[in-house]
Amino acid sequence: MRRSLNRREFIRLAGLIAASTGVAGCASVYDRLVPESSSWTPWPNAGPSTFLHLNRMTYGPMSDERAAADDAGIEAWIEEQLAPESLDDPGADLRLRRFTTLDLPSDVLADLSDRIFDNVDRFTVPDQLRQATLIRQVYSRRQLLEVMVEFWTDHFNISVEKGDCFFLKTVDDREVIRRHALGNFGELLWASAHSPAMLVYLDNQSNRKGSPNENYARELMELHSLGVSGGYTQADVMELARCLTGWTVKEHFWRGEFTFNSQFHDAGPKRVLGEAIDPLGQIEAERVLDVLSIHPSTAHFIAAKLARRFIAEDPPPGLVDLVAGVFKQTNGDIRSVLRALLMNGLEFVQPKFKRPSHFVVSALRILNARTDGGEAIQRYLKRMGQPYFAWPTPDGYPDRSEAWSGNLLPRWQFAYDLAHGALSHTTVDLPGLVQAAGPGDPASLVDRMSTLLLGQPLPPTTKRALLDSVERAGAIDDEGTPSLLLAAILASPAFQWR
Amino acid sequence: MSQTITRRSFLQSGTLLAGASLLPRWMPRLAFSPPGYGPRGDVLISVFLRGAADVLNMVVPHGDDAYYKLRPTLGIPRPDDRRAEPSSRTLDLDGFFGLHPKLSPLVGAWQTGQLAIVHACGAPDESRSHFKAMELMERGVEDERGPASGWIGRHLATLETGNASPFRAVALGEIPQRSLSGAVPVTALRSIADFHLAGDPQALAKMQAALNSLYSGIDAVSGIGQETLRILDALQATDPLSYNSATDPAYPESDFGLGLRQIAILIKAEVGLEVAAIDLGGWDTHFAQGGSVGQMAELMWDLASGLAAFHADLRDLADRLTVVVMSEFGRRAAENGSLGTDHGHGSLMILLGGHVRGGKIHGTWPGLAEGKLVGPGDLAVTTDYRDVLGEVCLRRLGNPALGEIFPGFQVTLHDLVT
Repeated sequence: MRRSLNRREFIRLAGLIAASTGVAGCASVYDRLVPESSSWTPWPNAGPSTFLHLNRMTYGPMSDERAAADDAGIEAWIEEQLAPESLDDPGADLRLRRFTTLDLPSDVLADLSDRIFDNVDRFTVPDQLRQATLIRQVYSRRQLLEVMVEFWTDHFNISVEKGDCFFLKTVDDREVIRRHALGNFGELLWASAHSPAMLVYLDNQSNRKGSPNENYARELMELHSLGVSGGYTQADVMELARCLTGWTVKEHFWRGEFTFNSQFHDAGPKRVLGEAIDPLGQIEAERVLDVLSIHPSTAHFIAAKLARRFIAEDPPPGLVDLVAGVFKQTNGDIRSVLRALLMNGLEFVQPKFKRPSHFVVSALRILNARTDGGEAIQRYLKRMGQPYFAWPTPDGYPDRSEAWSGNLLPRWQFAYDLAHGALSHTTVDLPGLVQAAGPGDPASLVDRMSTLLLGQPLPPTTKRALLDSVERAGAIDDEGTPSLLLAAILASPAFQWR
Repeated sequence: MSQTITRRSFLQSGTLLAGASLLPRWMPRLAFSPPGYGPRGDVLISVFLRGAADVLNMVVPHGDDAYYKLRPTLGIPRPDDRRAEPSSRTLDLDGFFGLHPKLSPLVGAWQTGQLAIVHACGAPDESRSHFKAMELMERGVEDERGPASGWIGRHLATLETGNASPFRAVALGEIPQRSLSGAVPVTALRSIADFHLAGDPQALAKMQAALNSLYSGIDAVSGIGQETLRILDALQATDPLSYNSATDPAYPESDFGLGLRQIAILIKAEVGLEVAAIDLGGWDTHFAQGGSVGQMAELMWDLASGLAAFHADLRDLADRLTVVVMSEFGRRAAENGSLGTDHGHGSLMILLGGHVRGGKIHGTWPGLAEGKLVGPGDLAVTTDYRDVLGEVCLRRLGNPALGEIFPGFQVTLHDLVT
């Protein structure tokens, strides 16, 4: 049974969090506990297509992931990733231990966020969620799962800037997004509809009989299931809103938990998408959720969105139809849908401009960076336009290349800072990298670094122009050259694409 | 030791302020505008209120009885409503419409005839979807089949001004507005003071040389990279921050106020700005939007105090500026049960500038009585938003290519600007 903490327990918890926050600033304590991540030996071979494909299913392929995919074949690698529960993940798990708020129930999170207490920063709850998200993206071996977590986080977008979403998003991330990311779409949609964070974010907690609030009902059909051209009408929005009257969030005891308040429910007859809905209280909207989750429009909408994320800005219609067909046959089994998409779609992959998360995390992963995922990194994500869990509108961060390509300067500065050791609590072992790359002149270092970061060497003319321009801008000094070349490759157009 | 190479000391800039407007130390007009091209039109400032602003509570039809029946709780009291606090009453404009009290900073521009309102204005799309409506509106198209570029992008692409400045079009914020997309590369800019690379000067010189070489291609991203580098150079060679001035009234301490101030600096520094796009979000007020005070009132204050400060800051240049304010659609005429309003249809647009036929509510008022509302009970659209933008393009920006800017649409002029 859950209840609010008493004062003594609260102080103990607060102390624990304060202590762990202190440790979080000192990542090396945890780094010593966790197994050494993969090194650069052997240096990866140029393998443009494996690199390209892995770059869709990971946040930037590390050397050992490239080697594994080359050895076992990309299909075996995909199968392994589709079963994340079979992959041990100590590198992420141990680092996540310091984030003590991730597993707390909503009423405790509410207490932590509301009260001013010794050493507990009001921002602890969302900050830990952001930091943990970045840690998982960098260190988890379950890369496809993390990529899908980001996909669904956008699909069911919630901004922590809105009311109690400030702390309820932590519960949504755990119970909705992560739990169902590779499960069944219907269960995911169902969980999201019962998620207090979602009901607050889209105002359904105030949706009451008499004059309903349409916000959630509309986005449930437009953004979460059918799509804007999925065949619903304004009347359907208004009728579904009536079905959802009384779906709300507890405010006092068990604060932040879902509840159905029949007093506020409109018990009259309703009609949604052409079907009569009998007066059955909470079950009315749940019936509609069942219809929406396997509707052909939903199948097509989700298939197209996944294809846009993984394959190409304008994916081949035949591929989308095929994937939508699998969605329908399997009643929305996400693993089957992804398998169909990846096994049939990778050959159609077109370049996509990296979103800020992918840009930052791919640099950190491929370079084996040590990071606490903290303030320095989060600040950069904000400057680039993607602070986690802060997109204000329910459509989620954009997935069009064009939305992101107009803001290069912060990426260049990040490239410079990472290569020059100017980020706090995030470091790259550059001497180790240079040593692993092997002896040679700056030209061969550029070849080696670009093979690592881009999957293949820069074209000879590009490489020559790069080295000439650097040389002309001042004497090449041996000490600064590796940092500079690394910064230049990270900042280059080629590294902005995945 | 790390240091900033392009940012000048703010104090130093301040001391130069008095002389700066008389004798600029640099002449970007010469650099960016070769002789042989005629003068450009106004600088356009496009303000988008994201989330569908509730225009009935912004420019209140206090003379329409139906308004108060539809809005028993959220209605803004009549100008002469003695039961209401004076500070909560509508500010009368013409006996029928009035401004929300938190839009009071705009009254001055209304009185001097530089602020006009086009009421019941909007797009034909009736999806009531933010995302579809915003996309169609920013693209300036009737439906999805239209061109993917934005209307401002097509305006810039069809108007040869001979302006090679990297500041020709600027997007305020982190993600460039869809309306700007098109032939001209657009860089997002949040703050001029922060637009620089920081680090060791020697290493940065090499880094910039490397970037110049890496971004020398002809693809779109290389174009943006080159533009970013040129902006860095321009800001390094010049000092736009010396054009930063304290104004009365002051800009609000918000992202919107910060953004408008950046635009004003670029305009005064004459770096070749033709279009700036800036957003103000948060208007999706389904819940607890408030009336004379509250959530939406605060947004209106941000909007109005920002625009008023901008207008005052640039009062000497008002004849060369046109500000257009728009939103994707309006909200339901009747309030909902959450002290908010749901998605509606008809919206409004605000025009501000020296050549605006101001002090006037333009457009045909369709009324709010039963039978006059459309769909689930929404304000009708009587003026297409493209009429307003088209007239601004034609008369103030000097661009007659309306057929390309708004394909498939016949622009009707309403004498909104001279």
